[in-house]
Amino acid sequence: MEILLQLIYSGVALGMIYAVIAFGYQLTFATSDTLNFGQGEALMLGALVGLTLVDRLGLNYWLAIPIVGAFGLLQGALVERIGVRPAIKIKSEFGWIMSTIALGIIFKNVAENIWGRDDLRFPSPLPEAPMKVFGANVLPMELLVIAGAVLMMLAVEFFNRKTIYGKAVVATFNDRDAAKLMGINTGLVITFSYALSSLTASFAGMLIAPLTLTGATMGAVLGLKAFAVAIIGGLTSGMGIIVGGIILGVAETTTGFYISTGYKDVPGLVLLLLVLAVKPAGLFGKSAIKKV
Amino acid sequence: MNRKYFFAAVIGFVLLALVPVFTHNPYYIHLVETIMIYAVLLFGLDIVVGYTGQVSLGHAGLFGIGAYTAGVLFLKVGAPFWVILPASVAVTALFGAVLALPALRVSGPYLAMVTLAFGTIIQILINEMTFLTEGPMGLKIPKPTVAGYKFDEVSFYWVVCAMLALSLLVVHRVLRSQLGRAFEALRGSPVASDCMGVSVYKYKVYAFVISAGFAGLAGCLYAYSEQYISPNTYNNELTVLFLLAIIMGGRKTRLGALLGATIIVLLPKLLDDLEAFRIVASSLAALMLVGGAIGVGRKITTVATMAVPVLGTAALAAFSFWLESITDWRLSIFGLMILFVVYYLQDGIVGFVRSLLGRRSASQSAEHHVLASGQGDPILQAVKNTGEDLLVAKQVLMQFGGLKAINQVDLRIKRGTIHGLIGPNGSGKSTMMNVLTGIYVPTAGSIEFEGRSVVGRTSSDIALSGIARTFQNVQLFGEMTALQNVQVGLHHTFDSNFADIALATPRSRREEAAATQRGMGLLAFVGLADLADEQARNLPYGKQRLLEIARALALDPQLLLLDEPAAGLTAPDIKELVSIIRKIRDHGITVILIEHHMDVVMGVCDTVSVLDFGQKIAEGQPAEVQANEKVIEAYLGGTAA
Amino acid sequence: MLTIKNLEAGYGKVHVLHGISLEVPKGKVVTLIGSNGAGKTTTMRAVSGMIAPTAGEILLNGERIDGMESFAIAKRGLAHSPEGRRVFATMTVTDNLLLGAFPRLTGSRPKGDVAGDLDRAMDLFPRLKERRDQLAGTLSGGEQQMLAMARAVMLNPEVVLLDEPSMGLAPILVEEVFRIIQNLKEQGVTMLLVEQFAAAALNVADYGYVLENGRISVHGEASRLKNDPAVKAAYLGGGH
Repeated sequence: MEILLQLIYSGVALGMIYAVIAFGYQLTFATSDTLNFGQGEALMLGALVGLTLVDRLGLNYWLAIPIVGAFGLLQGALVERIGVRPAIKIKSEFGWIMSTIALGIIFKNVAENIWGRDDLRFPSPLPEAPMKVFGANVLPMELLVIAGAVLMMLAVEFFNRKTIYGKAVVATFNDRDAAKLMGINTGLVITFSYALSSLTASFAGMLIAPLTLTGATMGAVLGLKAFAVAIIGGLTSGMGIIVGGIILGVAETTTGFYISTGYKDVPGLVLLLLVLAVKPAGLFGKSAIKKV
Repeated sequence: MNRKYFFAAVIGFVLLALVPVFTHNPYYIHLVETIMIYAVLLFGLDIVVGYTGQVSLGHAGLFGIGAYTAGVLFLKVGAPFWVILPASVAVTALFGAVLALPALRVSGPYLAMVTLAFGTIIQILINEMTFLTEGPMGLKIPKPTVAGYKFDEVSFYWVVCAMLALSLLVVHRVLRSQLGRAFEALRGSPVASDCMGVSVYKYKVYAFVISAGFAGLAGCLYAYSEQYISPNTYNNELTVLFLLAIIMGGRKTRLGALLGATIIVLLPKLLDDLEAFRIVASSLAALMLVGGAIGVGRKITTVATMAVPVLGTAALAAFSFWLESITDWRLSIFGLMILFVVYYLQDGIVGFVRSLLGRRSASQSAEHHVLASGQGDPILQAVKNTGEDLLVAKQVLMQFGGLKAINQVDLRIKRGTIHGLIGPNGSGKSTMMNVLTGIYVPTAGSIEFEGRSVVGRTSSDIALSGIARTFQNVQLFGEMTALQNVQVGLHHTFDSNFADIALATPRSRREEAAATQRGMGLLAFVGLADLADEQARNLPYGKQRLLEIARALALDPQLLLLDEPAAGLTAPDIKELVSIIRKIRDHGITVILIEHHMDVVMGVCDTVSVLDFGQKIAEGQPAEVQANEKVIEAYLGGTAA
Repeated sequence: MLTIKNLEAGYGKVHVLHGISLEVPKGKVVTLIGSNGAGKTTTMRAVSGMIAPTAGEILLNGERIDGMESFAIAKRGLAHSPEGRRVFATMTVTDNLLLGAFPRLTGSRPKGDVAGDLDRAMDLFPRLKERRDQLAGTLSGGEQQMLAMARAVMLNPEVVLLDEPSMGLAPILVEEVFRIIQNLKEQGVTMLLVEQFAAAALNVADYGYVLENGRISVHGEASRLKNDPAVKAAYLGGGH
């Protein structure tokens, strides 16, 4: 029983990471109908840059976070500029799918060459001794992950609701043409949403790095599973991705323990296939009405 | 097959077969063998990527299934080669169907993710199911023995050669047939495909299954070629390489697939040799600079457009001199190549060269179709019994959230008449049309066509039972020719299946010829016979609308729905349109006409129904309706001028 | 204020406007009427930058705005209440109105008194005041129309484009909408009004242009156009 609870705690923490990455998918999809197939790589770069700052340069973990965030903003803007904007211009879906995939590959390769192909250990900013909650073990870092993820999503929500710029972003999501009529530069909004999306991903990278191994390959499958979570949430519902993330995270930790670690990625991927087969709009989303 | 291409292909294969004669170096023989194997897979991948237009990131997984089916059958069951080969194809094709299931209702990025998930799961399974696949240890497979004869390096090479030729033949036949047109239609306009009786679901599955079959064949050959297979080959890197091959070589061309295969096999070898890479990169940069300068000088392109490729290749060349080894940067090179091809070389190298030579694009047949004389009437005479009820709609309600787009509408369409449906903007006319063709399912009410209910049936089912339509926003299959567009409408006339097509049976050839004849006849009916081989998207707008009508007539419908056919047409075009509508009615086909052009409606309709706010406010003969107070008020508002 | 000269525009291959010219003088209400498909909404979209004209000129206060992006045109004081309302459905009425003033709140236009203008808008549109915290997507068609118009006015614009304000509205709501337009007119707002319902439009406008198949067929003082048989013919056919 204790073990199950422990698995649940880890699962929730893992799930929150998925939720944060999925949140990034939602951000860009909402404003531009595109998403970054290299989202996982954005997370990976955030983790590795953070590692360099903390491990090599001896910077304090908490101070490193905003720097990693700034890096994420730039990386996202770069992806949008090079990969997405030209595709939107020529209205080619194939274009941004392939170019975000390509950029993801390039980032991964660059990471491999700079940081090597081996997985590295990220020093934990919090004590490594597990705490007892309701009788089961939970790592302080896991609690930080959960808190950090929730805080970040709340911050973005606050931005969207309370500032005029945030409202401009929501307006763009609602109706791009009408937003332009309001004097909103929707092109900038899209760039901004990509920057923000990479910001959240790199932040997630910083959060999860101390819990798992950090390396150039950490992003790929994470990105794919986070997409499953984003789909479950329907690509428009914030609550949905949190629920979806938790379901997936717990399913994974329990599979990994009770069946075998080699198979631990399978539940997430199968979930993705099932959801897309049965209800493509996601469990929480709304189906679009075709206009002919 | 076109004469020229046929001879070129034959010569090509002869040359390929002669490779082991010219060189005895097993390294080169193996290299060319690998290129051929990849080409087989790419023929299949092109069906999904080039024709149906979807991104598949799962083909490395399918390749792996083919290879492992061969390996497992050999190792565990000791099956002979002539069983293993078709078994690999069949098993992989089955997995292709499995892959297609979650992909059915999605497209674009969702479909790409589905295929990516699939490919990742396959790799995990191959790795983990050690009891079957020996996991990371891999499997060893010697060259096959058939009837006592053990194949060696060279004789197996010829087997691969033969398989490539066979694949080329089959793929070519399939893509030239109604199957190939159906696949392209899926990309051109999924809605129009369904409404022409080509079910998007069904043909998506076919595309994946056939594509998987080729991947399975390639996988099996690969296993015997390498004589050792392991799970980590069939990873995402390989799948991206396959995609790069297709888009760089050129979609929708066999030559492009071959070129692409060559590039992705030779490229890593090139990258291993730093000296050679430096030479190639520098030459490329120089070429770009010169080409760019000429282009700007001739005003074909601008400095801004050329800046990125010129600077990019220059940077790449400089980078190659700075590096010690380029192998580690292999993936980045691939990534950059993808970026380049996606934005600057959208039709691939083959497409680019073709456009330089002034030839038209791949999908166009190099054939020239002429209308045969003495042909019968291309339009089937519809069932007689003019005057009886053909379509009866009762109390139809179509609600979107709080909005009642159609509010308790009754409609009775009599056979053999032209029934007009008019009303101001937003009155529900197009919604009605979408309800009748199954694009929307009505919230309530009944709709019976020839006594059978329409509600809840799929669009393609409804189309095949006799209701055809055109669209307000033209939904043609842009990259196909006018004739091919009409032939998609004739899809229902084909009984031949994949086997018929692959074997080019007399039945399939007969049906294709008949469809060409009838297609030309239908084009002539709307006056487009001499534009038969033009790409639909290049036609002038007025002709595009006529083409939609010809395509709809190809369904041999009892009922034809025309959605604002006169919109955007000039006065002479409208006259032509009206005479065509009359001729259609003379064939006994019932017509429902949505229009805003009052002259057209009044001139050609037998009955007119008027909608306003989703409700029917008037019905009757055109003149009555025109003078009806309520109608005038609906259009002009208030007491009219 | 707003001048259109020989405007040609369309969508891809479809040429909708074949060279139209019209003037909207300061402080006046000009209406563009015509049957469906004649090109009215295309004209509006070309003016506000939603589509790029293929030929011709559009001038706002003497400055050429044809070919500009719609957000740049909005910053210059042209507000567009688009066809179909297009309010921001997941945002409240108040937020929708605030977004109308986006250029004022972000420095592209003189700020003025945004809070005060918000109150005044609520007074002009009492229904909106009642529903200030309601999500725009839950409003009825008529209320959304009012929201779209109020949102446009929040820009403190030089000129307002009203695109088919009556579309999809029940007659009683149409009356209310036109009363509000009359009110705005009395406050001196310059407006270009595109309408399918000729009668109501000609009642409120100073000047009218009739669009037929992408060309201006008749134009003149609104009061005179009301009784012109050419107008009826343009809608219901049988005229020429």
